[in-house]
Amino acid sequence: MFSFLLRRIGVLIPTFLGITLLTFTLIRLIPGDPIEVMVGERSLSPTLHAAAMKRLGLDQPIATQYMNYLGQLLHGNLGTSLKTQENVWVEFKTLFPATLELALAALAFATIVGLLAGIIAAIKRGSIFDHGVMTISLTGFSMPIFWWGLILIMLFSVLLGWTPVSGRLDLAFDVQPQTGFMLIDAWRAELADPSLNAGAFKDAVKHLILPAIVLGTIPLAVIARMTRSSMLEVLREDYVRTARAKGLSPARVIFVHTLRNALIPVLTVIGLQVGTLMGGAVLTETIFSWPGIGKWLIDAIGRRDYPVVQNGILLVASLVILTNFIVDILYGIANPRIRHAK
Amino acid sequence: MANAKTLPTMAVAEEPVINYPSPLKEFWLGFSHNKGAVAGLAFICLIVICALFAPWLAPYSPIEQFRDHLLTPPSWAQGGSSAFLLGTDEVGRDILSRLIHGARLSLLIGLSSVVMSLVPGILMGLLAAFFPRWIGQGIMRLMDIMMALPSLLLAVAIMAILGPGLINAMIAIAVVSLPAYVRLTRASAMTELNKDYVTASRVAGAGLFRLMLITVLPNCMAPLIVHATMSFSSAILEIAALGFLGMGVQPPTPEWGTMLASARDYIESAWWVVTLPGLTILLSVLAINLMGDGLRDALDPKLKRAA
Amino acid sequence: MTTTQTPLLNIKNLSVEFGSVGNPFRAVEGLDLTVQQGEIVGIVGESGSGKSVTMMAMMGLLEGQGRIVADDLTFDGKNLLTISGRDRRKIVGKDIAMIFQDPMTSLNPSYTVGYQIMEVLKVHQGLRGAALQARALELMELVEIPAAKTRLHAYPHQLSGGMSQRVMIAVALACNPKLLIADEPTTALDVTIQAQIMDLLVNLQKERNMALIMITHDLAVISEVAHRVAVMYAGQVVEIGKVPNLFRHPTHPYTEALLASIPEHSKGARRLSTLPGIVPGQYDRPKGCLLSPRCLYATEHCHQERPGMTQHDTGAVRCFYPLVDKEAV
Repeated sequence: MFSFLLRRIGVLIPTFLGITLLTFTLIRLIPGDPIEVMVGERSLSPTLHAAAMKRLGLDQPIATQYMNYLGQLLHGNLGTSLKTQENVWVEFKTLFPATLELALAALAFATIVGLLAGIIAAIKRGSIFDHGVMTISLTGFSMPIFWWGLILIMLFSVLLGWTPVSGRLDLAFDVQPQTGFMLIDAWRAELADPSLNAGAFKDAVKHLILPAIVLGTIPLAVIARMTRSSMLEVLREDYVRTARAKGLSPARVIFVHTLRNALIPVLTVIGLQVGTLMGGAVLTETIFSWPGIGKWLIDAIGRRDYPVVQNGILLVASLVILTNFIVDILYGIANPRIRHAK
Repeated sequence: MANAKTLPTMAVAEEPVINYPSPLKEFWLGFSHNKGAVAGLAFICLIVICALFAPWLAPYSPIEQFRDHLLTPPSWAQGGSSAFLLGTDEVGRDILSRLIHGARLSLLIGLSSVVMSLVPGILMGLLAAFFPRWIGQGIMRLMDIMMALPSLLLAVAIMAILGPGLINAMIAIAVVSLPAYVRLTRASAMTELNKDYVTASRVAGAGLFRLMLITVLPNCMAPLIVHATMSFSSAILEIAALGFLGMGVQPPTPEWGTMLASARDYIESAWWVVTLPGLTILLSVLAINLMGDGLRDALDPKLKRAA
Repeated sequence: MTTTQTPLLNIKNLSVEFGSVGNPFRAVEGLDLTVQQGEIVGIVGESGSGKSVTMMAMMGLLEGQGRIVADDLTFDGKNLLTISGRDRRKIVGKDIAMIFQDPMTSLNPSYTVGYQIMEVLKVHQGLRGAALQARALELMELVEIPAAKTRLHAYPHQLSGGMSQRVMIAVALACNPKLLIADEPTTALDVTIQAQIMDLLVNLQKERNMALIMITHDLAVISEVAHRVAVMYAGQVVEIGKVPNLFRHPTHPYTEALLASIPEHSKGARRLSTLPGIVPGQYDRPKGCLLSPRCLYATEHCHQERPGMTQHDTGAVRCFYPLVDKEAV
């Protein structure tokens, strides 16, 4: 198990270095003069321009610039936003819980519904339910989620008035961000001051439902399809026949002998959805005005706030790499053949 | 022949004459078995016809603004006009004409980004498979890094550098979908490389390029074709997403995603502006994915037998 | 002769169909088989002749994919045709156990060997705790697995094929079954291991006086251990008889051809004797006897009509013109 961990970490480090190289190059690929692009239309005097170049370290040779960049990163310095003059890491830290809360809710929705639908579809192969699950999941997989979000808002918010249109909480409530997770903060605020914040938690849930469904739609479709095909494959295995020949109950055959082996590839797929979720968060947060890092990055790109773009992407990519790393480890734990592989 | 005489004179069963269907016919038999795939194909044909003959099929120019007919509902809805079958948008452009012309753009971008990632992807994948040591390792690490970034985010980042526009969107999407082709080609080429026919060809003195392109590549095509279909559909989704974020094709060019960029403002007043472009995207992507499923079932012999 | 006591297993006129109702494929057709307590019955035939399907149907392992019809299907006084799923599961794995062809894929890769043995003991005998551990260890030792105590915690991929098959046997024997079905138990193993596993099975059978159905296409093995043999062809039993009579004096042309194809029987011949043609598939079933297109002795009668089973003093045969002992002629 230890050598397995070491090998995984051995792959992790070069990948991470590669990402830094990518984000480093990214900002230098901008056509034209970076300083001019950053300050926008206003023209700069040559002295000011040179000063800016020096301040950003752009007058150094490329290799030195990269080493400096790495050094900065190692010191935890991710630069400051050109617009707010705020530290990029601090901005990320404040906004990230919102994205995490949304992503976790979406993933929970996708995993629970997707697993159940996939398992039942596989057990009842060829039934109407199976065909229904397959059709719906292919539709979900083909969904332009930004449009899906608009349609759901139109239906549930505008037409039926069940859910709010955007944001995380109604302005009427006085909730101080403590954990950054609105569900928890609202819950605590409600407990602390029931007269002022009655219903805050319920309101936070209402705000979360639609964005979570929208963001979870594609992962849901992928998980349902993957679970079904993986279950069907394992159900054909000899050891499932053995389990039946042992006289075990159908529930035991499915849950103990089939599901555990079928879940191994599904687990990997769920892990890979983290990338999809981060990409989807960009769209979902834009539609629902959800104050997370997806919207933050899009806004930064819109106003050419390059330090935020560069290091925001670095942070998101690191996050994805780290999750995939954790999934890899879990995969090893779930699958003894990999754990013991030399 | 001489051996035939030594055989005992038994009731030798007649050698059955089997006419093997041509590969194309066999493929079509498998493919047409899947009703969803055929339906998908039919819808794609419709879109292709729309794209090819857009100027003749569309009732109006996609950018002509009818100032007297802002936000006209579709013809069947209350207040609709038969002049504008699917209604008009906020500046009075005919939505049907924009959708028909939009098909051109979506297909063009989808197709060219697939080609732009397929060709280098295959070449890099083959290189990585044939030279697994240095070149292969280098290529695969690079692909790992690209895979670590969510594809939409990477596309957005590339657009941020290149600036919005049609060509840039194609490039961004092509770059984003490159790693999957490289990995797929490499994986199937590695499997094929271990097979005896490749060794035989090598022994027969085939050169590197012959080995790569004539011996190995054709046997890796089935999964690549299936993946190309799937990445075509995701290219359409991504271009629409970029358009929606305002980073793709710029208005007034009629692009399906761009048409939705301002739609949020009309959620309460003009449902057709919101629903129709998205429905077109959904149906096109769904059709391509249905066809892709059918292709996979028809091309993958392992799955064929299981069905 | 053997009908004096009620058989442990009685199968009368069993048919198993796959595919759609309108266009069925009969994997097994009109099969009769009885097995007495403590008897070893061999079933031989080419692959696809319906040997395994018969046993799977009896154990209820076809999972609704096959349609099963029979006049009688009784095991130990219980009607397996009308039994509920719950009651069937009380028999299967306990009184009837089965081991399969490929031991490497028949064990669940995610659980230890010990877990997979103890699972049966828990479900069928309600054993828990120390008693459970002790019994599992005892079983591992019974099937002659060395270092049994440490092997309890091994995963299947850490064991060799022969070792895995021993584990499968341990699982099968866990609840002292009255009937053990061994479906080509040695086919996937090395030749040297094959004999060991076969010896183990036969010894255990003798020790416990359980019935053993041995499915195989290895005629040599069957001729040594079995009491009776059923020969199957295209889903039908074509000949059933006592050992060694059936081997010395085959009465069905197919049995004769099968025996002739054993290399030892062709010593000195220039080429190995073979039966020309292939087993009929789903769509090319002959109208008459299923063997008629390939049979050396087939007549017009054989091509027109399907023969039934004819009893004779040491067994039964499905042929209009059973072979008469050549030496006797």
